[in-house]
Amino acid sequence: MNEIYTMGIDVGSTASKCIILKNGKEIIDKSLVDVGAGTSGPERAITAVLNSTNLEMKDMAYVMSTGYGRHTIEAAHSEMSELSCHARGAYFQFPKVRTIIDIGGQDAKVMLLDDDGILENFVMNDKCSAGTGRFLDVMARALEVKIEDLERLSAQSQKDITISSTCTVFAESEVISQLAMKTDRRDIIRGIHRSIASRVSALARRIGLVDDVVMTGGVAQNGGVLLALEEELGHKIYTSDLAQYNGALGAALFAYQKNIT
Amino acid sequence: MNNIESLLAQFADIADNPKRQLDQFITAGKKVIGCYPYYVPEELVCAVGMVPMGLWGKQGSPTRAKEYFASFYCSLVQMNMEMALCGELDKLSGVIHTTLCDTLRPASQNFRVAIDKIPMIFMSHPQNRKPEFGIDYTVTLYSKVLQQLEEIAGRKASPDDLHEAIKIYNENRQAKREFVKIVGKHPELVSAVQRSTVLKSAYFMEKPKHTAMLKELNEQLEALPVVEWTGTRVVTSGIICDNPSVLKIFDDNRIAIVADDIAQESRSFRKDVSEEGNPIRSLAMQFADQDQDPILYDPTINSRQAHIVDLVEQSGAQGVIVIMMTFCDPEEMEYPSFVKVLKNAKIPSLKIGYDHQITDFGQAKTSLEAFTEILSLRK
Amino acid sequence: MDTMKVIKESVQKKPAKNMLRDVVDKVYAEAWEAKKKGEPVGWSSSKFPAEIAETLGLKVCYPENQAAAIAAKHGGQRMCEYAESLGYDNDICGYARISLAFAAGAECEEKTMPQPDFVLCCNNICNCMTKWYENIARMHDIPLIMIDVPYNNTPEVNDENIVYIRAQFDDVIKQLEKISVRKFDEKKFEEVCSNANCTAKAWLKACSYCQYEPSPLSGFDLFNHMAVVVTARCRKESAEAFEALADEYELSVKDGTSTWHYDENHRIMFEGIPCWPELMNLFTPLKEKGINTTAVVYAPAFGFIYNNMDEMIRAYCKAPNSVCLETGVEWRETICRDNKVNGVLVHYNRSCKPWSGYMPEMERRFRKDLGIAVVGFDGDQADSRNFSNAQYIARVEGLYEIMELKKNGGQ
Repeated sequence: MNEIYTMGIDVGSTASKCIILKNGKEIIDKSLVDVGAGTSGPERAITAVLNSTNLEMKDMAYVMSTGYGRHTIEAAHSEMSELSCHARGAYFQFPKVRTIIDIGGQDAKVMLLDDDGILENFVMNDKCSAGTGRFLDVMARALEVKIEDLERLSAQSQKDITISSTCTVFAESEVISQLAMKTDRRDIIRGIHRSIASRVSALARRIGLVDDVVMTGGVAQNGGVLLALEEELGHKIYTSDLAQYNGALGAALFAYQKNIT
Repeated sequence: MNNIESLLAQFADIADNPKRQLDQFITAGKKVIGCYPYYVPEELVCAVGMVPMGLWGKQGSPTRAKEYFASFYCSLVQMNMEMALCGELDKLSGVIHTTLCDTLRPASQNFRVAIDKIPMIFMSHPQNRKPEFGIDYTVTLYSKVLQQLEEIAGRKASPDDLHEAIKIYNENRQAKREFVKIVGKHPELVSAVQRSTVLKSAYFMEKPKHTAMLKELNEQLEALPVVEWTGTRVVTSGIICDNPSVLKIFDDNRIAIVADDIAQESRSFRKDVSEEGNPIRSLAMQFADQDQDPILYDPTINSRQAHIVDLVEQSGAQGVIVIMMTFCDPEEMEYPSFVKVLKNAKIPSLKIGYDHQITDFGQAKTSLEAFTEILSLRK
Repeated sequence: MDTMKVIKESVQKKPAKNMLRDVVDKVYAEAWEAKKKGEPVGWSSSKFPAEIAETLGLKVCYPENQAAAIAAKHGGQRMCEYAESLGYDNDICGYARISLAFAAGAECEEKTMPQPDFVLCCNNICNCMTKWYENIARMHDIPLIMIDVPYNNTPEVNDENIVYIRAQFDDVIKQLEKISVRKFDEKKFEEVCSNANCTAKAWLKACSYCQYEPSPLSGFDLFNHMAVVVTARCRKESAEAFEALADEYELSVKDGTSTWHYDENHRIMFEGIPCWPELMNLFTPLKEKGINTTAVVYAPAFGFIYNNMDEMIRAYCKAPNSVCLETGVEWRETICRDNKVNGVLVHYNRSCKPWSGYMPEMERRFRKDLGIAVVGFDGDQADSRNFSNAQYIARVEGLYEIMELKKNGGQ
């Protein structure tokens, strides 16, 4: 029996993710490297997942690349936009998904799918980094906390603090002012999460939300942001451990589709 | 085929070298007048024997212009000021500055006080342009502008000179409109990059020459059989979209621009001028007739929305791509109604942010690719 | 006991600020009443010739005034976000976003007014007006009445502008006669113009008290009082209220008191529309350092006086955002000199492109011509997301230091 392996590689601005899929259904393994387009990240991600699965590149029936750096992957047979790939990956995991909120390292996108899981419409953040992973990086640094700790600390917040600026630089200065006033770090963090939620919800409202709503992208791992988004939007938001791999998953699925046609 | 490629290459060469064009005019003993967007009647410049050149900014970031503008002003106007401050416009004998938006208004004052080398000709169009009193105002305005141009040129324009100029411009507008239609039918022969340079080059050429070349190109293109286009077909809308990096994304994704609603392109040559009667009045009537542009007051309130749907249907486009100029109030304010009408007509649309400062169009690339995927799946 | 005299005296003793507030409240109340009765109610640009609607007995509200009130009560961001969810870019003027949200049905308990049956648009203050009002007209399917005032390149208004605008006035009168179902009464018009002039004179008189050293008023008060000159120029009670205000200031000068309860170490001009939701934050560092605002551009811009139709039209051609650079500079330098300021605080208002458009050049001219300290800060008239308190405080401190240095001869 011939197993068909396909590979999806998502080369983002800040991370490279790779997934190997068997027969268009089963995720064999995945890999993630913390650097993205223009670095050794993509190659290392591909090597890592091949090693862990004991497969070789020639075993791949089709390789699809996506993400900001998708054009740099020589091994890829073709490429697709991360919008379509995120849509595909989310639909695979959540068959009832109609709205996808994807917050990545440098951008935020909201995608609307039709009843068959096909991308119908989308909107992306304009002009700047507020409301993206970069925003969280800057704030975490100002607060002297690790990104991984943001969710835990935010959950302990007792007080509502508003960080109102839409500009990342202004927001950072607000955070510093709060710190100077001895405001509890945990309240500030929750305020930051709500600030992102506010920015991203504005994006979502422009396109119109339809249930079920799924969150993908690296920032989805931060339950604090997800919770803030749920509160802001008044909708349940689903996510999975594969949130950051969603684009790569979608690419691998498309690869399978392309291979059999 | 060879001739088409050669003509396209010539147009591109001119579009990419405005400075050289300017130098050539000066060397030939001609005087050149810079014309700001929008709706400057270049016929007036032409009628006194001077050469009008369009000032639509250029790729780059303002540095000296920051002495005059805070950051939140459109890059088109800022880059014009930048060029002026850096001496790139010094060879111009004058600049016609308009006031149709909230950036252009104070910009006119900044230009006038900052650039004393170049006489500024102030052109404050009336928004209430259609009633008789509006036309009268435009006539007075245009007459005053003509007077100032005559002083610079050192000669007067006779009614015959004006009629001649109007004829020249009508011919050029007609040729451009034809070109847009023809390219819509032959996207495989003229890329988006090339299409833009053909239209842009007109701003740096004397119109009779542009018309002659364009008529030849149109003829050659029309003569060829129509080949089925397997890519997607769109209408573009916005102020300007002449950055080759962005247009290359269109081409790489096989997105054909079958019609446009772009200020630097079709909005500027939709309407012709009557060749009868008082020429100044005819020019004023042309302005009175201009519509379907967010920068102009729309007394019908809804005409632009209807127009864009018609444009999509007539050109056989599958969708609309809005090229949103950063910081452009009129375009931003009209956008919600615009999208609403497209939604009702079930026409897919996409908005991409654009300005002269952007160097990395990664986001636009992703958006355009995804949009293509959406349109292809709808086919 | 003479009852009338007692009543008159008690009415006169009412604080001017209460009289002023009552005038504005009445404008809104009358609009609601008219709406209930089924009469057409209009929304108007702040500098659309109010005399016309007033003469025809049409009730009119002012979206800019409403937006400022909403912003001052901290509802601005919510309304802006609503507008953004409809697709309006956050680059657009905050007043417009608030107003469009309201017109589209957003709930707003901070300041409500009846939805319009017609809109009166005049672009002397900006081009944004046109698109703003077109959107409202589209949303409600109502007539838009337009007066286009071309921008000026010279201190004098061109004759052809007067002719053009006069023709538009006449056209507008015809359109509003249809809407009001009334005939335009020339006598009533004269009376209305006379009222408007009285109001303007009284307002300018009140503002002129800033010239005194020390000033009998905190300049920030003028931001609150100006609502009357925006929304109710043509009413007798407006002139009365401003006269009462001027009287209070006169008394203060005699008594040596002031509504500015702090040291007056320095006197500044505040350039631009204030950041309505941040008035407290704007005020605090200034009061802490004894910096009184004794010159305000926004306020007296509404105090225009005319003797005939020609002068009236010229007056409407001269909004802060429609005059040439030289006139703009002259206005400001005049009030700086008259009101004896030694510093200028410039608000770079993210919401107002025409106002901030030639500001950097104006700053240079103030420094050169007046030799005073000039400092700018980033803010917004209605959207707090564009204001940074930390930045503002730092800028005011900088301004203070420069003014101190200049005062002490550079020691």
